[in-house]
Order: sequence, then structure tokens, then C-alpha cells
Amino acid sequence: MPNPILDPTGTTATAAKAQAPRAKRRKDLNGATVGLLVNTKQNAAPFLDEVGRLLAQRYGATVTMARTKVNFAAPAPEDLVKEMTTSCDVIITGIGDCGSCSASAVADGIAFEAAGLPAAAICSDAFRVTADAMADLQGAHGYRYATTPHPVAVLTPDQVRERAAVVLDDVVALLTT
Amino acid sequence: MTDDTTPDPDAAQAAIEYCYDRDWSDGLPLVPASQPLVDRFLATTTRNPDEVIGELEQVGRNCTVYLAAVNAAMAGCRPEYFPVVLAAFEALMRERAARGGGWQSTSGPAPMIVVNGPIRHELGFNTAGGAFGPGFRPNATVARAIGLIVRNAFGIRPHVLEQATQGLPGRWSICLAENEEESPWPPFATEGGQPEGASAVSATLLRTCEFVDNRHTPDPEQVLWDVADTISRTGSLIFKDTSAGVVFCPEHAQMLAGAGFSKQAVQEWLIEHCGRTGADLRRAGKNGLRGIARFADPDTAADGQFSRILPSRRHVPIVVAGARNAAISMVVRIFGEWSGTVIPIPPTPAKVTS
Repeated sequence: MPNPILDPTGTTATAAKAQAPRAKRRKDLNGATVGLLVNTKQNAAPFLDEVGRLLAQRYGATVTMARTKVNFAAPAPEDLVKEMTTSCDVIITGIGDCGSCSASAVADGIAFEAAGLPAAAICSDAFRVTADAMADLQGAHGYRYATTPHPVAVLTPDQVRERAAVVLDDVVALLTT
Repeated sequence: MTDDTTPDPDAAQAAIEYCYDRDWSDGLPLVPASQPLVDRFLATTTRNPDEVIGELEQVGRNCTVYLAAVNAAMAGCRPEYFPVVLAAFEALMRERAARGGGWQSTSGPAPMIVVNGPIRHELGFNTAGGAFGPGFRPNATVARAIGLIVRNAFGIRPHVLEQATQGLPGRWSICLAENEEESPWPPFATEGGQPEGASAVSATLLRTCEFVDNRHTPDPEQVLWDVADTISRTGSLIFKDTSAGVVFCPEHAQMLAGAGFSKQAVQEWLIEHCGRTGADLRRAGKNGLRGIARFADPDTAADGQFSRILPSRRHVPIVVAGARNAAISMVVRIFGEWSGTVIPIPPTPAKVTS
């Protein structure tokens, strides 16, 4: 018998991840406290601010908390997730606009879902594959998130507001039944 | 016709295809790893095969000594190179950029590994011409092993979790053995706190390498101005601060040392002279600062002001590599910052033959 060829990935020993839980959706966003998790990418803050403003104006939501992730490449730290979970009803996170931050925006969305909060991650559409790959890694195959056309970083303030308005319906659909 | 001692090429080809079919390859053929081969790698270290030597929390994956050995074997390393692979990987995992999103980054950074000490000659590393490769098994395969670990153990594959826009030439192939014999300055590892004559490895991530060909001036300061111009290229400036190392060829290094420049003096000269005027930066849309990131600001008030870009000596590390046959040096553009951590190579537990 020849020797078997060894597997360099180490994945056979890893147990399959349980299906990640999805939080119960709200009927609507009226009176909902919205948390914005900003990942520091260029235009992420004005983009999410505008989404929050429109949710307040058109859907009666209240934006009470905006938090910034110090390290955009990594998923949000546990205490930040806990803090936002305690104070908010729904979460919007983004903008996934690079290799690591698009993946981690999705990971954050999934973490908030596990904590019981509906979450909408927003990614640039150039990063769909890596966002989907992260969802698979987190046991959330088929995880839905909102996308906005690439590029985001070069948009003017007016264009950012337009983009936020365009993605708004998708965000609402992700957060409600 | 072949005799009994000739390996079976058909079996080898089938084994290589087996590895391709499982998506383990970086594009080039792999050496199919068997347990007896990997055991010889593991015999070069006292570390437990199950010891976790690197973790990428955001993707829930890690690398053990065993997995590193399998990937090093597949990369074409000889077993005795394995302590260098372990040290290089450890050095890289000390880098903030490599622990963070570096492997997934759109910039597609390349590790640069620097080997010092007698192990360079013991293992047959190229310490002279063609320092950036290719052509030498230890240099080529140690660097490749790191790439396979990232791909296979961490699961960071191109187009999926790896999102390099263009990547860069030399990714997974830059392993410099410093030309200590022709360097006028102390080895990089000595600066990093290792005793003189120690075998040790350091590593960081690069955005690119840019040559500085300056062989017709006897004036060391003209060489430094040429290096400074390359370091100060606006295309590479994304943040307020930048970090760019210089891999000096022996000729430039000796010219500088001959004129009284220590490594520290070269670094201080470059800190002082590298930078751009506000007008240059504005022309390239990089004169404004939002936090630490550069952006286009229409304000012309700072047009006449010169902004330095290298905040400290740590941001301009110096290594000497290559042949003494021409005055060609390389600016190596560092991804983030180089911690300068140097990992010593432990003595091999037993004599390993391969």
C-alpha cells in the first residue's frame, strides 16, 4: 500500500458549525432603536448616518447609538456587541468595502442576530464573494445583506446621501418581516 | 528504460494532480506530502505537533506545527528548513497587519522574510546575487511554505476570502538571506536584539519593491536623494505616516559606510529628507488628513509646506542583500509597520538527514 497523501488544511478534524441563529424580525421600525456600527472605512459614517436619518424620518425609528469599530478588519469585540444589544432593537453595520472589512461586517451582522437583534450589514457589491464566504464560515449559509455599487470611498456627500436612499428599502426588508 | 532506482514519473504526476484537484495548490505543482516525509520535518523541532502557532480569529482557523510541516513539505522545503519556516511564520504572526486583515486585503501584500546567521550557509540559502529570487531552493520554498499555510491552514484563498485587487510580483517568494559578509553594518537580527552570530529570522508584509539604480555617482548623498525620491512617491502614500525599508546592495551600503554613514545615520537622513510638499500631495489628491487617512482637500494653504512621512527609525528598516556587482538597491514598501521582531532559530534536536 502506498502512503496516503496528507491534507494540508486541517479542516477534516473541525466539527461542522451549527446553523447560526437568526433573530426574530420586527413588524416595522416604528419606535425601534437603531444602532449604527461604523467600521471607519471612507464614507461609512456619513452613509450609515444618512440611513439612520431616513429610517427616523420615514419609518419612525429612533437612532440612539452610533459606535465605531476600532479595527475594521476584525469582527466587533464582544463587549461592543453586548453594549449595542442592550441599548438597541436593530443594528445596521458597514460599509463592507475591503477584503477583510466586508467579511467582518457580515460576521458582525451574524453576531448580532445570535444576540437576538435583527441586523442589516451593508457591503459594496464588489465584495459579495468574500461576504458570502464569511457567512458560510459563520454557519450562516445564504445570509442576506444589503449591497451598494462599488466604489463607495470616492463618493461626494450628495452621492453618499443618494446611495443611502437607494439602499434604504433593502435595509428595511432585512430588518422586518 | 529505467532501473529500479528511478522514481515513477507517472505516479508522481498522478499525486500532483491529486493535490490540484483538492485546491491545495498556489498554482504551481506541490510535493505530495506523506507521513514519513512530514515526520522528518517534525523531527527538526522539539515543539509538539499539536501546538497552535498561529490563529486567525476572524475566520476561525488556526495553524499547528503539524499543519505547518505538511504545507512546508508540499512547498518543496527540505526537512531541515522547517525551523526557518516556523521562525518566519512566528515572526509574521507578531506583525499586527498579518494578524488583522492583511491576508484578506485588497492590497495583496507579500511577506518579506529576512534570514540571518550561520543557518544561511548551513542550509544553502542564497546570500548574494538575485536576492529577491528566483533560483535557490531554501529561499524559494521557505517563502512558498508561508503562502501555502495561509491558503490551506487559514483557508484564505484568492477570489474568496483573499481579495487582492492586483496582488504583487513576488508574493510568497521573497526570502532574503542578508549578505552579512559584504555588509558594512551589523546584521538585521543583531539590531533586533539577537547576539552576534545568532541564526534568526524576521518578517513583515510588503506592498511592493521598487528599485533604485544609481551606479554613476561617487557621492553617497546623491544616492540617498535617489532613495528618498522613491520612498516619497505619492502613489504609495495612503496614511499620514508611511513605512519603507531599504534593501541596500553591498556597493551602496559600502559607499555609505565609507563616507561615515552608520545605519542609524542613513535612517535619520531619510527621515529628514523623505516627504512631499503640500502642492505635490494636493496634485495627487492626498493633501488632506481625515484621522490618519489621506484625502483630497481643495485647501491650498499648505502648498508650500514640506511634510515628512517617516516618523521614526523603526519606519525605515535597513537590510543589505544582493551581489556586489552593481549599485542597485531596493525600496521595500512595508504594509503597516514592521515590528522588527526577530525570532531566533533554536538548535535542532537531532541530526536530520534528508
